[in-house]
Amino acid sequence: MGIDVGKFLKSPEFEIAITTYRDIFQVEALEYDRFGEEYRKLSAVIIMSREDMKKMGIKTGDRVKLINDHGSIVVEARESKREEPGGIAFMVNSPWSSALVSDDTGGKGIPEFKNITARISLTKNDISSLENLIFNSGEVEKNER
Amino acid sequence: MITCTGCSLLCDDIDVVIENHRIKEVRNACRRGAAKLKGCRNRLRPSIDQTPADIDTSIKRAALILKNARSPMLYGWSNSTCEAQSNGIKLAKKLNAIIDDTSSFCQGLLIEKVLKKKFRACSLDDVKNKADVLVYWGSDAQDSQPRHLSRFSYFPRGESRQRGYEEDRIAIAIDVRESNTAKICKGHFYRIPLKGDREFILSLTGALSGKVPKHDAKRILELADIMKKAEFGAIFVGIGLTYSIKDDVDILVALGDMLPNFHILPMVGHYNMRGFNEALFKETGFVNRVRFDSTAVHENKYAIVEALKQKSIDALLVTGSDPLSCLPGSMISYLASIPVICIDPCVTLTSKISKITIPSAVSGIESGGSAVRMDGKVIELSGIVENNYLADTEILSRIMEEL
Ligand code: SF4
Repeated sequence: MGIDVGKFLKSPEFEIAITTYRDIFQVEALEYDRFGEEYRKLSAVIIMSREDMKKMGIKTGDRVKLINDHGSIVVEARESKREEPGGIAFMVNSPWSSALVSDDTGGKGIPEFKNITARISLTKNDISSLENLIFNSGEVEKNER
Repeated sequence: MITCTGCSLLCDDIDVVIENHRIKEVRNACRRGAAKLKGCRNRLRPSIDQTPADIDTSIKRAALILKNARSPMLYGWSNSTCEAQSNGIKLAKKLNAIIDDTSSFCQGLLIEKVLKKKFRACSLDDVKNKADVLVYWGSDAQDSQPRHLSRFSYFPRGESRQRGYEEDRIAIAIDVRESNTAKICKGHFYRIPLKGDREFILSLTGALSGKVPKHDAKRILELADIMKKAEFGAIFVGIGLTYSIKDDVDILVALGDMLPNFHILPMVGHYNMRGFNEALFKETGFVNRVRFDSTAVHENKYAIVEALKQKSIDALLVTGSDPLSCLPGSMISYLASIPVICIDPCVTLTSKISKITIPSAVSGIESGGSAVRMDGKVIELSGIVENNYLADTEILSRIMEEL
């Protein structure tokens, strides 16, 4: 039986800054069915600049793992259709992005929803399901570290 | 004509076609509004411990949980009618409970300034009739309050702005991202780095008082010039700006003071967040994060985020919100470990972990009432679709009766 060496090779990890935004199509999908496929497809995505993707060896459609001290998720990477200066990636506001948000607010009660830092790497794991985010709070993926 | 509860613009010019007790067609609304009006696919059913129950038993059990809790919290409210909100405040008083709403980690900071008259505010009708300079700051209205530009700010003709966007109005976007709103503000998009708002405000206030900014001097001086010359300006403050300056909101007050022709309007998402803030402010002098005892006490530890982090609440009633879909993921496990009572028309992430679920009518569609638009104007909600659901306000009254 051959050994799949690739399984043991870790994809390189990069630091990434993420901010969140609103997308009308995703909000529309949320209103209809927050457990539906459409909402997941529009939420479990990270948008990056062409340069950043090139630098990190990531292509549109690749699955990427985002991890920090607060949680871990798997989402799809997509290249931004706009001119971006790079250095910052974008996720729509959703339970996927919130999984990476710190609950430490310095006692002020307002988390940094729009100022997330995480490490990004290519993965073969499935896109995180909503059930996994709710019932395991991302723990399953966290344990894979 | 009916009112849309898709966002805090509460557009009251919507036409609908109703078929089989559901809205089949929607006219005039944006995508977000049409989706909200047509309604969710999965309606909530009454349950106890995730097992179907009848509504009367669910209500009784909900009352029992709240009565026996040492430190209950009543949370949500931004998708509830004013009538339900006022009943919620009554219930909190009766229980000596904590009450908080989504503004606690959203625009509450700014609404409080507006209600305390720290900002010069104006109505959206004033914006429509008079405004010539519109600044969208950390706000992508096109995706969040999609008819803001078309009904009130950039595109419409107004009393003193007959030629609308073509000649009479300038729209400016200041944002980390080139949003869909920024795309409309051609030539007037200022991209700032993440958390760069404070520095941008300082550069702008410097430029307004004649100092040459260190970075991007030409464009910032040009912006200061446009703002100085405005006859009637408005800064629409999005959540992007609020989060970025949350530790020093007064810097925005100072900017407002330097621009006597400008008005500051927080952009509110959920349709009646402002209604809750106004109701609680009237009652207690605070817009959120209050614990009722012999008096109303306001502290940061009564914010939903802090209360969950410190594990200081032992029961939670949620209505008009789905906290599980927006709170930091690491808070979910504690939330799921305490008894949650969820009142909502639809199955939500929160309802999936709730001990008690109580379905309600969709406010504004299946039940009427009133709500407060983002600029403070009270708007009547229609309640036009026949149904057998209880209104959120009735459910709260029933819980109170059971106590
Ligand atoms: S802008 Fe807001 S209130 Fe108006 S139709 Fe769209 S969602 Fe409804």
